[in-house]
Amino acid sequence: MIELHYESGTLVATGASSGLPEPFVWDGRTRQWRAPAGAYREVVLSLRESETPHEDHAASFEKAHLESRVAMEPRPYQREALAAWGREGLRGVVVLPTGAGKTAVAVSAMERVGRSTLVVVPTLALLKQWYSVLSDAFGGSVTVGLLGGGYHEITPVTVTTYDSAYIHAERYGDRFALVVYDEVHHLPAPKNAIIPKMLLAPYALGLTATPERPDGGHDLLPELAGPVVYRRSPEDLAGTYLAPFELVRMPIELTAQERFDYAQAEAVYRDFLEKHRLPMRSPEDWQRFIMVASTSHSGGREALLAARRRREIREGAMRKGATLETLLRQHWEDRCIVFTKSVEEVYALSRRFLIPGLTYETPARERKEILDRFRIGRYRAIIASDVLNEGVDVPDANVAIILAGSASQREYIQRLGRILRPKEDKQAVLYELVTAATGEEAASRRRRESFRGAPA
Amino acid sequence: MLRGEHVIARLARGRLVPHRLSPDDGRVVEVARELCDVYAAHLHGPRSGLEARLSGLEEELGPRLDARRGFKIVRALAKLLEELATWEAPTEADPYTIRTRVFELAATLPEPPAGEPGLLEAPTRDDVLSRVASEIGLEEVSGLMYADRQGAQLLGAFEEPSPEGLIERYNVAQVQGVLYAARELVVDLDEGADAKLVFHYVKKMALIYRLEPTPRGYRLHLDGPLSIFGGTRKYGLRLAKFLPGLLLTSPWRLSANVEWKGRDVLLELDSEKNDLKSHYLGPKDANEGDDVRTAFVRAWERAKDTGGWELEAGSGVLPFPELKTALVPDFTLKNTTGEKVHLEVLGFWSERNLIERAALLREARARGHRVLVAASEKLGASPKALSEAVEGGVIPFKERLAVKDVLAALA
Repeated sequence: MIELHYESGTLVATGASSGLPEPFVWDGRTRQWRAPAGAYREVVLSLRESETPHEDHAASFEKAHLESRVAMEPRPYQREALAAWGREGLRGVVVLPTGAGKTAVAVSAMERVGRSTLVVVPTLALLKQWYSVLSDAFGGSVTVGLLGGGYHEITPVTVTTYDSAYIHAERYGDRFALVVYDEVHHLPAPKNAIIPKMLLAPYALGLTATPERPDGGHDLLPELAGPVVYRRSPEDLAGTYLAPFELVRMPIELTAQERFDYAQAEAVYRDFLEKHRLPMRSPEDWQRFIMVASTSHSGGREALLAARRRREIREGAMRKGATLETLLRQHWEDRCIVFTKSVEEVYALSRRFLIPGLTYETPARERKEILDRFRIGRYRAIIASDVLNEGVDVPDANVAIILAGSASQREYIQRLGRILRPKEDKQAVLYELVTAATGEEAASRRRRESFRGAPA
Repeated sequence: MLRGEHVIARLARGRLVPHRLSPDDGRVVEVARELCDVYAAHLHGPRSGLEARLSGLEEELGPRLDARRGFKIVRALAKLLEELATWEAPTEADPYTIRTRVFELAATLPEPPAGEPGLLEAPTRDDVLSRVASEIGLEEVSGLMYADRQGAQLLGAFEEPSPEGLIERYNVAQVQGVLYAARELVVDLDEGADAKLVFHYVKKMALIYRLEPTPRGYRLHLDGPLSIFGGTRKYGLRLAKFLPGLLLTSPWRLSANVEWKGRDVLLELDSEKNDLKSHYLGPKDANEGDDVRTAFVRAWERAKDTGGWELEAGSGVLPFPELKTALVPDFTLKNTTGEKVHLEVLGFWSERNLIERAALLREARARGHRVLVAASEKLGASPKALSEAVEGGVIPFKERLAVKDVLAALA
């Protein structure tokens, strides 16, 4: 009789009368037949097919009563996606644009499987967002657990980050029947690719808007999470399902002092770029500048400091604060969300305007409470650091104000725009406060150029 | 332990050389001393202030150590000091309750709270804050709103190291930092090295080992369960945590296969050619057991009749790879017929230790080894666990391990 056991991210078989076929290998170190835990589905299916007597002590999945309390009427494409995933044996990747409700697909998938589920996400902001969505959906019957960002609570429905899963999956890899990879294009990264190997989970769902990776890593996705089973582009869904909005760009002039400081920092920074013949046209160029400057013997440190100072002046421009105050007053009856890059600025503005701040530091439960109160109108405005980079939704805002932008995110405006919902018959508005006569203007222009052609 | 961004090393002829600070260099000691002093002087001060001060010192002290990487070295030293600090909350009030009340009040206003009072007498920010202040009976509401952020924590206690102590920790931490990217660690334990101690840490870090005899002792290959499917860096962190354990003994040589900036390179260390000092205290059992062992040897030498048995120092390692551990007996007993029995003395044990030992004894017997384990009745978990273990072949003792009890078990 073959017995299967789970051991630190691997599957160990004992009691075999003869050698075992792939994916098992003989581990001479411990004198056992060993396979990666990820091979569990393949192993069990082949044991069943060949009618080999075996006992499975490896899996300790739990049946979980997963029935969403939240009325979720799946949009037709979400239903199609789920059906396609089911046809592929409950394993595969669903590609939907940001704002199209990928989370709803995952919730339906969890209902369908009805067993313990691990959700893996790239950022702490998303960890908290999933916590909130899953608590809303399943909170009546299960407690949602968190692993990562200071939380270490494992329950039949647990949300974790790629970083924490890399470290801890080997301890809990026997507990989950389904694994959901949010933003699954992170999975083929060399470090993350080992995560599926440590999980027994026979079922997997990958979600992303863009599975392609510049390093070609997407070729590994079928092995890691399953093939792409369903795909829709923003164009496919434009108009019907994604909200249109109006974009208003407000130039902010620097004060005389700010202009002076800015020019000084700018000179030091530009001088360094020129001396080292560094172009500055793309995020990669910026990375290169950081690398050159931090290893340069002369002037590198100064150039880095100047670059930082320059950005601080631009982002912190005094008149931005005053403009923000005006906009908040104008939209006090609306549902308004303010975005800024800097965490410290979130807390400063939260103290100044007495509106709740949201950053990666905000505890999961408080974050959920703030968003819930915002949704029902108990809070009129909230201010968040740049937690939207990867599709965190803040539904039900009809006004967004961006305080500091960056040219690095090509889809930034679309992403923000898509979270906006028109209020009654009032169109949603997105304000972008851009400091005049600085690089920020060009960054904003770049974003707007890429923005053409999107629903507006 | 350092973070990846603090790790500094250079390549020399395909070998990786982790950065090292010399404890004999006056400038280095001076910088270390200043950092220790800044920390100690900041006792009861807020974390954000200390962090701002330290980041200022990066610019100030860094260039004294190294023109280019000085700031990084200072940052790394500060990280190690942080591990010796205990932080506490600045207030007994609950900032979450306070800010929630502030936000709720502000949201009921007909317009956003004004920064300054105006002619229209619109409600101001101060109105909201002072109302909450009177509700909770505390001043400084604005400051308390986010007093649960990390930066607001106060330095409650600090185990101040000597400057030399900090430098020693730094040097070990840089080697550990390089090991984060290691796929495998190969350790040659030479004669005289405390194999028992080494296996204690192998087990503690949940590593998998492979053992080969060498002319001078043993060679250990260390990695983890998944390594067999192709080298992975996943166990690098555990290998790094293993290192200070290894540093508690000598002589040994180690080499690690490290992925460094996209290249496969080697890290090599020799216990006789470095001055790395461990900050681990060693297993609890070490000292306890030593006294009992010394006393036992003396008692044995004085004993009139040992039934033809001779006591020798433990002869090597009995590997039990399936149990991911090894038995390193303290003594080997031999009699005239050439029979060999191993004896291990446990000074301190936990219930789990004993259960594991009993499993080990069974396994050893199954393989034709004779192994005796002696465990103190005084130290340890429950008498029940002990009596169960005794049934499994464990010899109990009170203060000292008596020769006659061992002889009785041998019979």
